[in-house]
Amino acid sequence: MTTASGIKGRKRVNWTPYILILPSLVYLALFFAWPMVQGLILAIREEGALLTLRSEAASASTVAGQLPRGMQVDILDQRANPIPAGADGQGNLLTEVWYQVRGETTDGQVVEGWTPERRIRVRESDASGNPATGTVRSILSSSADPLTPIHAEANEGSEILGKMEARAAVEILGQATLEVWYHIGGKNGNETIQGWVPARYIRPLGDDTRGRIEAGDTSQFTTRYIERMINDRFFWPALRTTLLLIVLIIPAQFVLAIIMALVIQAELKGSGLFLYVFSIALGLSDLAVGIVWYSIFTQSGYLNSILQSLGLIDAPITYLSADTRYWILIAIWLAEIWRATAIVMVIIVAGMQAISREVLEAAEVFGANLWQRVRYIIIPLLRPSIQVALILRTILAFQVFALVIVLSGGDIITVLANETYRQYYDLQNFNVAAAYSSLILILSMVTSLFYLRAVRTQEEAIE
Amino acid sequence: MTDIRIENVTKRFDNFVAVNNVSMTIEDQEFVVLLGPSGCGKTTLLRAIAGLGMADDGRISIGGRDVTYLPPRERKISMVFQSYAIFPHMTVYDNVAFGLKMNKFEKTEIDKRVRDAAALLHIENMLDRYPSKMSGGQRQRVAVARAIAMRSEVLLMDEPLSNLDALLRLEMRAELKRLLQEIKATTIYVTHDQIEALSMGDHIAVMKDGQIQQYDRPETVYDLPSNRFVGGFIGSPPMNFMQGQVQRENGHVKVRVGNFDLSPAETMQPLLRSYDGSPILMGIRAENMETLAQPAQDALQVEVLVVEPLGSQNLLTVKIGDDLVKVATHPTFRVAPGNDVWLRFPADKIRWVDRDNGKVLYPAS
Amino acid sequence: MTTVGETPKSAVQVSPEVKAIHRRMQRRQQLGRAVTYLVGILISLWVLVPILFITSMALTTPAEVRAYPKGVLPFIPLSTETLQFFLNSRGVLPGLRNSVVVAVITLILSTLIAAPAGYALSRFIFRGRDMFRLSILAVRAFPIVILSIPLAVVFLRAGIYDSVYSLALMHTALALPTTILVLASVFSSIPYELEEAAMVFGCSPAQAFRHVVFPLVLPGIAASAIFTFVLSWNEVFAATILTIQNRTLPAQVLVTLNQSSEPYQFAGGFFMMIPSLIFIFYIRRYLFNMWGQVSK
Repeated sequence: MTTASGIKGRKRVNWTPYILILPSLVYLALFFAWPMVQGLILAIREEGALLTLRSEAASASTVAGQLPRGMQVDILDQRANPIPAGADGQGNLLTEVWYQVRGETTDGQVVEGWTPERRIRVRESDASGNPATGTVRSILSSSADPLTPIHAEANEGSEILGKMEARAAVEILGQATLEVWYHIGGKNGNETIQGWVPARYIRPLGDDTRGRIEAGDTSQFTTRYIERMINDRFFWPALRTTLLLIVLIIPAQFVLAIIMALVIQAELKGSGLFLYVFSIALGLSDLAVGIVWYSIFTQSGYLNSILQSLGLIDAPITYLSADTRYWILIAIWLAEIWRATAIVMVIIVAGMQAISREVLEAAEVFGANLWQRVRYIIIPLLRPSIQVALILRTILAFQVFALVIVLSGGDIITVLANETYRQYYDLQNFNVAAAYSSLILILSMVTSLFYLRAVRTQEEAIE
Repeated sequence: MTDIRIENVTKRFDNFVAVNNVSMTIEDQEFVVLLGPSGCGKTTLLRAIAGLGMADDGRISIGGRDVTYLPPRERKISMVFQSYAIFPHMTVYDNVAFGLKMNKFEKTEIDKRVRDAAALLHIENMLDRYPSKMSGGQRQRVAVARAIAMRSEVLLMDEPLSNLDALLRLEMRAELKRLLQEIKATTIYVTHDQIEALSMGDHIAVMKDGQIQQYDRPETVYDLPSNRFVGGFIGSPPMNFMQGQVQRENGHVKVRVGNFDLSPAETMQPLLRSYDGSPILMGIRAENMETLAQPAQDALQVEVLVVEPLGSQNLLTVKIGDDLVKVATHPTFRVAPGNDVWLRFPADKIRWVDRDNGKVLYPAS
Repeated sequence: MTTVGETPKSAVQVSPEVKAIHRRMQRRQQLGRAVTYLVGILISLWVLVPILFITSMALTTPAEVRAYPKGVLPFIPLSTETLQFFLNSRGVLPGLRNSVVVAVITLILSTLIAAPAGYALSRFIFRGRDMFRLSILAVRAFPIVILSIPLAVVFLRAGIYDSVYSLALMHTALALPTTILVLASVFSSIPYELEEAAMVFGCSPAQAFRHVVFPLVLPGIAASAIFTFVLSWNEVFAATILTIQNRTLPAQVLVTLNQSSEPYQFAGGFFMMIPSLIFIFYIRRYLFNMWGQVSK
């Protein structure tokens, strides 16, 4: 790029350029850097892997220990705590509503006390929609106590003032929202840990004395997702195919691109038209290109049509099936070369145009023949362009996706990007999908660094 | 014996004839400058000699060998390019050694020649550096070193100094001249700078419209231009040309210039006689007129329009007839615009030019 | 010595062997030119024939699409039936609308954000300029795939998942680096002296930009906007991942690929190629600006 022309240099710090680049920096930080970090974190960090047990049924109390998600625990006790003022908004708390009721107990006394909302059927509400009167629900379970206890406080553990029969009428005086805590015990290795946890983390099993830790409150680094990715039956085929395609596609693309560039650089009449035609594929999406090549390779497609009309085959050949993987590979190979050689060509043509004509003439005058000019002058001077094209192409090759889906149906032949999509879309495993995408990122960076080292450019040579 | 013979060479680009039927001979170890305005075909001719653009017609031989259709590498030449064409990805050493390597010289020989060439151009201490970190003058030296390291008997130079700033150009000009005397190659040097041409060349070929106008020693080209173009192109200021009218007065030819009658030199009389009664151009260089502050015999009175003090001389612009004429005077000659001065034209310094074909008239010698 | 070169033409005696060399060279040159043309035409066919295939599939009747063997001669019978069938399929028109909305938002957003940065890169030397350039180049080299997953998760949490607007945000992030670099080179092609001249003649810097630079860079900005449009129009991975109900056209085609018929697929493939084919035509001049100068 022309940086030399039209640049104003100033001694005093000028803030204008910083203000001008600020929006793009902010945008890229927000929608590029941050998601990328998030992606890496998603792959190696398990959210809510551990549940913290407290010594008291309060989140401020001391930590008694931690138990992993998914563990079966004993539910030893439970308690409902009034929610501290202002915390009502936390939507995902497991809560219990208790009513303060007045009614007649079995022994004929009228008592005022608390009972859980589930024991009362509301019959009437007052003008503002709060429950006003109700009846005690009947309890269907044969084993349980058919009577409903009335507690002194909105707490299962508090004193029982009396019991009411089913269908007894009550006045509802007030209500309280309580957060439920369980006292649980579980084995972490050899030691048994007991403590209080909010009930929303536990799913009770069967008789309410056993439960499973549904979710934790602490995240933890884990290799689980990476292991799941590696153990997935599609992982190794996908990795193998991705690398195989890169190895097969890129050299062919470079050969074709250099031939294209030489045709254009020959400066014949009509080379402008050649440039246009050669670069047509530059703007095509891999989905569209996949469909184009599908129309050629499908059983009733153009390839078979042509072969049959030439009399070379009697019946259409099936190319894109599980039994003919190599044909699918060939189709993907051709489609990728067809689609993505143009960008390599553009970069190489630009590189060739940057080589001064006099430099080539000088080489000619000083005795270099065509091959020596290519070998000692053109290739070394094209090196930066080749390097950029290699990096760009490889990174793009890691992302081939729709084309593979179209030509292989998505599972006969599969690639890494494809698996990312499957994990996310079909299997809803966001973390494993993130592991795949992180793998693609790492592979892209490793190959880029490899190219930067292998195709090392003489820094000083680039003016 | 490496002379270069160019016979009837023509080079066209589509319909444009860049070099039109040019023939010239460059003797062994001679330094010839191709001089002309841009677009005159001088670079095209040089490239045809180098083999970088084949001649469409005609024949070029170097040292008696017909090279017309040989590729450059088989012509045994070396060249300095206008943009230097230093290979940016090679060190100075590799640049200078490039031609030798391509021609498969032995390593020790390459090393010796590279170091000799570098020493000649005072770039011994830069051999390991890359050209991108060098100044224009340094690159120029590398380009010249690369050319002379080949020790070719023919050296072609395409405006080698045109990309340097004025001071550096002056310095390199002298240095190049010394160097070329030392290496004794047959050299063709293209430039549009007439001072470079006059100061460096053994011979100058002045070109215009694809044809050679004059091919001669520098002093001859300066003093005895073959036509109006050469006189007007060479020299600073260029030769003055004034309208005149040839008249005959009792057997003697006189030319009326402005309101003044001039007597041409005796040797010119027979030639001018045929122009009797017709207009003619009189050419004279600024420094060849005698300027007087007082009226004198045979002197033309003119009014000074502009005075340009140039240090070594004062340049006056005067009007004679309809023509503006530049006159060089001694710097001590003080005159102000609006004053009158008297000019005297030494007859042997006047060149008479045919108005129709622009040719300068010379008596057959 | 003073031979001025006009010897008569017949004086030159060209030796037979020189003539032979000349003839051989001319023949070799002609042969080389013919081979180059041949290679160029072969490559052109390689590029054009598949496009011809898909076009002739899209512009014929569905019955012809299903026929076997297909006629190699294209467009027989010529019909818009297949294309109509595709456009009338469920989800295609909404997808088309979504694609256009996403692409337009993306090109507006990315041009607005990239233009100042491109101008800063081309006109100022500032501390961190090379860092900025390099990181822009690096950003362009990162795979799209790795952005989509975390952004999908983030958008899910933020409640802006499955929206064309959030997809446009993502596409803008993809287009931004290229747009910045292209616009920087477009601005660099306008000499700063022009702006200075405008300021000398009484413009403020903003006015100089408005009256001198802006009209000159408009074609370049248009080219980069077209490029951004096509990038967004073509993008399928993020589009499939970030949307469910509000699919763009490529996402719709991809997701329904397995259940769809060949006429639908071929017409879809052709339809998606149209903007790209037009795009290449318009940005030819900027081709090398866009990709060529990556190494610098």
